[in-house]
Amino acid sequence: MYYIRKMRSQFNSWALLSVIFSILILLPALLIMVQLFAESNENWEHIKEYMLKNYIVNSVTLVSFTGLFTVLIGVSAAWLVSAYKVPMHRFFKWGLILPLAIPPYIGAYTYHGILNYTGVIQTSLRNQFGIKVDQKFFDIMNIPGAVFIFTMFLYPYVYIITKSFLENQSSSLIENARLLGKGSFMTFIQVVLPVSRAAIVGGVSLVILEVFNDYGVVKYFGIQTFSTAIFQAWFGMGDIYSAIKLAGTLMFIVVLILILEKVIRGRKQYSYSTSKVRPLQPKELKGWKKFAVLSFFLSLFALAFAIPFIQLLHWVYMTYDVILSAAFADLIWNSVFVAAVGSLLIIMVALIIANFSRLSKGWTGKFFSKITVLGYSIPGAVIAIGVLTLFLFLDQKVISLYEWLGLEPTLVLSLSISMLIFAYVVRFLAVGFNSIESGFDKVGTVFTEASRTLGMSVTKTFFKVDIKMIKGAIAGGFILVFVDILKELPLTLILQPFNFYTLATKTFQYASDERIHEASVSSMVIICISALSIFFLHRVLEKEPK
Amino acid sequence: MFKKNLFTVVTMVLLAALVLAGCGKSNEGASSNNNDTKKEEVNLYTSRHYEVDDKIFADFTKETGIKVNLIKGKEDELIERLTREGKATKGDLFFTSDAGRLHWAKDKDLLQSVESETLNKNIPDNLRDKDNQWFGLTKRARVIVYDQKKVDKSELSTYEALTEDKWKGKVLIRSSENIYNQSLVSSFISLNGKDEAKKWAEGIVKNMARDPQGGDKDQAKGIAAGEGDVAIMNSYYFGQMLNSEDPEEVKVAKQLSVFFPNQETTGTHINISGIGVTKHANNKENAIKLMEYLSSPKVQEVFAEANYEYPVNKEVEPSELLKSWGPFKEQDLNLSELGENNADAVKIMNEVSWK
Repeated sequence: MYYIRKMRSQFNSWALLSVIFSILILLPALLIMVQLFAESNENWEHIKEYMLKNYIVNSVTLVSFTGLFTVLIGVSAAWLVSAYKVPMHRFFKWGLILPLAIPPYIGAYTYHGILNYTGVIQTSLRNQFGIKVDQKFFDIMNIPGAVFIFTMFLYPYVYIITKSFLENQSSSLIENARLLGKGSFMTFIQVVLPVSRAAIVGGVSLVILEVFNDYGVVKYFGIQTFSTAIFQAWFGMGDIYSAIKLAGTLMFIVVLILILEKVIRGRKQYSYSTSKVRPLQPKELKGWKKFAVLSFFLSLFALAFAIPFIQLLHWVYMTYDVILSAAFADLIWNSVFVAAVGSLLIIMVALIIANFSRLSKGWTGKFFSKITVLGYSIPGAVIAIGVLTLFLFLDQKVISLYEWLGLEPTLVLSLSISMLIFAYVVRFLAVGFNSIESGFDKVGTVFTEASRTLGMSVTKTFFKVDIKMIKGAIAGGFILVFVDILKELPLTLILQPFNFYTLATKTFQYASDERIHEASVSSMVIICISALSIFFLHRVLEKEPK
Repeated sequence: MFKKNLFTVVTMVLLAALVLAGCGKSNEGASSNNNDTKKEEVNLYTSRHYEVDDKIFADFTKETGIKVNLIKGKEDELIERLTREGKATKGDLFFTSDAGRLHWAKDKDLLQSVESETLNKNIPDNLRDKDNQWFGLTKRARVIVYDQKKVDKSELSTYEALTEDKWKGKVLIRSSENIYNQSLVSSFISLNGKDEAKKWAEGIVKNMARDPQGGDKDQAKGIAAGEGDVAIMNSYYFGQMLNSEDPEEVKVAKQLSVFFPNQETTGTHINISGIGVTKHANNKENAIKLMEYLSSPKVQEVFAEANYEYPVNKEVEPSELLKSWGPFKEQDLNLSELGENNADAVKIMNEVSWK
């Protein structure tokens, strides 16, 4: 009896904390949503009549094509990397994740810089060979161009998740298929695709959310989508009502996609049936096949990383003497610092909610786990305003306390970094949560149940058993969130405290003044820090118990 | 055996995060909360991102001992932030480009009137708000640039003339989402009425060389690439291109010339970057001091020149480059009207499907 009671009380503390965190995360969104009942106006009619259709068509086009291409590229690269050996195999395994280090908006600036009239390609054609080309072939600032940018810099989401699934979990199936005489293509179609369905869908839904939320690329390319429309209505027309209607429509679409994801994933659970899972052994490739796979890898790496990287390097060379100063070190410190603290908090909250949701049998746990995704589905700017509203409200309370104490009233919370970090937690919890949830999924509840049967409490089991089994997932989640925060723009821009700049806001400042060259130095540092983190991520994933 | 309680662990992590947050480098100046001595400072929300601004603010601090704290963001979001902060705001000044935006801040009751002999003397009437809630500090013109080889200067006359059939498929201009274009159309609403403004927008859309894309500089590059013959762009972007660190951009700019339209009629469209004291400023005096400093002849010279803009202070001559483009007649318009007509301008451009 004693044990049961104790277990219960322990378990309740998990539930309680989950509830508290979930409410905290819901609040900013709710504060925005109450405005839905604010008075309506003619702007909404105007938007509906002239623009809404365009927004929907553009957003859906972008999302569908990006989704399609990231799956094609991400899955085929993942399959080829895990199943075959080509020269530089070890490098490609992590090199193909590297494009994740380049935020799509920086990719967009860079590719436009390469391709436009004064860019390196047209310039050399003109000056070296006297060829003047039709601009149509070099125009990237359109929907196909945006799809290209998104595909290049987001496919790693699909690639990482699918690759780690294939490497660690599918070996017996694939080797059986090989033994039974299936060719590699048929193995891919008949075995790999179906079993890795869940991983692929998981990856592509991240891509889709990123595309829906993107503001930098579409704004720069002048493509009207939901996120530009929300900005336009809210900040341009000063019409919060229409902005929220748009955000609501967007959230509705996102929720539909998430439901669809669940349906497609199906009820299949792939968790270890034994504690030893054999990794897939890659086969050596020969002849033209080796050549084909190698050139696929090489061109993918070139387009998605090497080419933009080299271009940026050239711009850095052009401008570094103007840009680099002592203040620049502060930028780096600020960026790394907020990203590290933010990621730490996210991982903690994600662990608590994920552990609660997996151990609770009813619908409540599942419900809380869904809430975490909410922040990821709302554009950063909308979250920022919600968080600002919440903190200003808290500040009002603090101010009255101050006045009561006879002190000078000031804004304490809403001018502090804590507000910014809180907003990061709301926005990116889903990223950390997904990673940890999939870690938990993989180990299942068998070991936890064993530990509980042996008399350990939920909390003790968590620290002694669970956390040790999902170390890799925790590290992976931390790094993914870290990179995401480092790259984050709209939210940071709205919530920055006085005299506080990050690498991303600096990049934006230059780019918004059409000074792309000057933006290169801070872009480069973002990319390098992210790339380093990704390298660590790769090491962590490699070391995970196989 | 030691006991691990979940609450203890979570509290410890949160505390650690809080302490860490205290180590952040930004918590100096405005965000610090010292009650003992009141430090002389002024807090600025700005959407301008030029290095020269930082240098000028540093000089100001040196001269007056008043520290300048900055939040650099996007204009619309800064307005939204000021609105949300209301009475509690720490921002004393709001600094942004485009009169339309400044007017909008005034409309939302975010600014306050300022009486200053110095400002009234330094800044012409039409470049500041009717109620002195905001003041222009630098001036730019929205000009036509043209291909020297394909277009003769005599072919150009007015903005309106660009809607004639002669220019079909030859006009380059960026998207209607851009505030500079919105203000341009606003000015036409003021000068010629809504119907004429709509007719103009329709005519421009009809004559566009391509779907609007990119920034102002991309329009100039479009001419060099042969996509169109004329482009509408802000004067300072052209100045930036002429002085770019990228030799190819300089080459492009050298093939083009600047034309100031509507010299015989209503004048060339001008706009400003300007500043205003926030309604709930805590450091109003310091804020006014900074504004006066920025409008003074000495500062105006560097301030405008750094971004190839025109000084608003009549005592100060524009830079050599701008002088070489010659003097020009400006639209005779109080810039407040650009803001007053902004909503109509946006609607007109949407109605004529200006992307």
